[in-house]
Amino acid sequence: MREQILGLIEGILNVPMGTITEDTKIADVEEWDSLAHVMIIGELESIGVSIPVEEAIELTSVAELFEKAGV
Amino acid sequence: MKTARMALLSNVNMNFVIRLLKRQMEIYEAEGYGNELGLLMNPASSYHTFAPAYTFLVMDLMELLEHELEEQTALERVNNWFDMLESSLADTTTYYVSDAYLWGVELDVLVDKSRKQTLEQLWMQRLQRLCAEHTNVRIFPYRHLVEQMGEGNVFSPKMWYMGRILLSNDAQKRLCEAILACLEREQRVAKKVLLLDLDNTLWGGLAGEAEQSPIVLSEEHEGLAYKNLQRVILHMQRQGVLLAIVSKNNEEDALEIIRSHPHMLLREECFAAKRINWQGKHENILEIAKELNLGTDSFVFWDDNPSERELVRKMLPEVIVPDFPQSAEELAPCMAEIYEQYFAKPVLTQEDRDKTEQYAANAKRGALQKAAHSFEEYLKQLELVITRVNPAAHVERLTQMANKTNQFNLTTRRYTLQEMQEILQDENREVYLYNVADRFGDNGLVAMVIVHFPEGSEDVPVVEEFVMSCRVMGKQIENAVLQDVEQSLREAGCTKLKGIYLPTAKNKPVEMLYPELGYTQCERYPKGGAAYLAELNQVPARPYQAKVLKDATLEV
Repeated sequence: MREQILGLIEGILNVPMGTITEDTKIADVEEWDSLAHVMIIGELESIGVSIPVEEAIELTSVAELFEKAGV
Repeated sequence: MKTARMALLSNVNMNFVIRLLKRQMEIYEAEGYGNELGLLMNPASSYHTFAPAYTFLVMDLMELLEHELEEQTALERVNNWFDMLESSLADTTTYYVSDAYLWGVELDVLVDKSRKQTLEQLWMQRLQRLCAEHTNVRIFPYRHLVEQMGEGNVFSPKMWYMGRILLSNDAQKRLCEAILACLEREQRVAKKVLLLDLDNTLWGGLAGEAEQSPIVLSEEHEGLAYKNLQRVILHMQRQGVLLAIVSKNNEEDALEIIRSHPHMLLREECFAAKRINWQGKHENILEIAKELNLGTDSFVFWDDNPSERELVRKMLPEVIVPDFPQSAEELAPCMAEIYEQYFAKPVLTQEDRDKTEQYAANAKRGALQKAAHSFEEYLKQLELVITRVNPAAHVERLTQMANKTNQFNLTTRRYTLQEMQEILQDENREVYLYNVADRFGDNGLVAMVIVHFPEGSEDVPVVEEFVMSCRVMGKQIENAVLQDVEQSLREAGCTKLKGIYLPTAKNKPVEMLYPELGYTQCERYPKGGAAYLAELNQVPARPYQAKVLKDATLEV
């Protein structure tokens, strides 16, 4: 599941595979802006992962995202 | 696809769609969203600096109405928006404006269930008028996307609350595809002709076996699947796609069905051309191309038989040959896809709607000779030119014609090159040679007559050779040729002319030529055949539609 989510994030950001890992901080990735962030949250919905709006907005890292997603 | 510079403007956040499109083309990146009119109306805006060739306006009607659902207020807002858009239109851009889909949770609690449609209608009426008045404005099929995916899959409240993104990720991807499809349609050359097989294609089963098993075409079961396919094709035809039949059948059996089967929707007049015969389909397709005067690269060929498809693919690689579905229920949707993929155009003109009629009329002109009453008309339109040329330079052609021609050959004498040379130099013989051309091209040297003047002055000149190539038969050319020969003999002081017919296995078609041209039989040969005689000042005028000229070298 975690692998799938990393791949999904890379797809939205249009970056090479392996760029995003569990240690990635959102602020460190140029492509990961607020628009991309919303799209990532939206894309997670399509694989059955739902993070509430107010929590989603506050995420700062992949690790936090995994935690909120419960994966 | 050529890359087109485009802009996508909206009153909701479309930035992710823009980002997706940016991966494949040059696209304008607006600052924010919701200022589409400001960008369009300000000539100094970054939008005008970017100068897109295509501008897509994908509008959310609910936002535009600011959730105001009273009809009068809504009308004012819609009118206001279109007035401003219209004032900003530039000839240098093609505009795609989305059709209306009103969506909002409050619609669910309205008692007046028709309100949604009423409000959407306000938008559609203005949009349709705009398209009618400006050739560079088209409808972007946004509504179709929503209907296909379903509201629940298209609209995403969560994305809306997070970033004013109205559409779900999936819907945004579909929106990209729809935009790309519009651009591709703008840039490709649409196909013109759909070539159709009949058996197991337009109907199930085989024509001509009605006694044992009638064809499958009806209002139920598999028959309805074929009828629905015909419905799709009929609408394609009404929108300018030319239909042609290329089918291996007995023509009568097939036409019987097309003309009188109660469930047949594609009647004879729907087809711009027909080839119902046992000839190779690739040959028939080439004939249709000629008849309709269109290149085969504008053809799409649809046939259930894989070997026919393979043949056409091999022989005519420029013809599009789509695959054929496995089951009848897939026929209609498959055809709709073919339309979308090969025939659909960004806009439909009145000309497209009239097309079949035009082409059918043209094809009829080509087939004029089939109608007896208009044969003369047909010949007139051929613009035949028959030119008498100097035979001296064409001894080889003369020999070849005399030796190779079997049907239109009155005496079937054969000559060597040497003999023909001697005839040309013989003072007692005159050789007439004719070139025939029509509006489609030059047929070359195709008719010859040799007249023999016997020694005694009392004797009558004899046509001992009258040969014409079969490719110019049936156009009354022989009438013009004989008339020309008679004329020249009259000018030389002759008063009578004799013609001879000697029968062979092949020259039956000209058995009655001389009597038909006003000659009277004067002699019957014991071995068959006859001689005919005419008084040159009494020969009747025979009909022909051709200009008869003389080569300059003969004038002397």
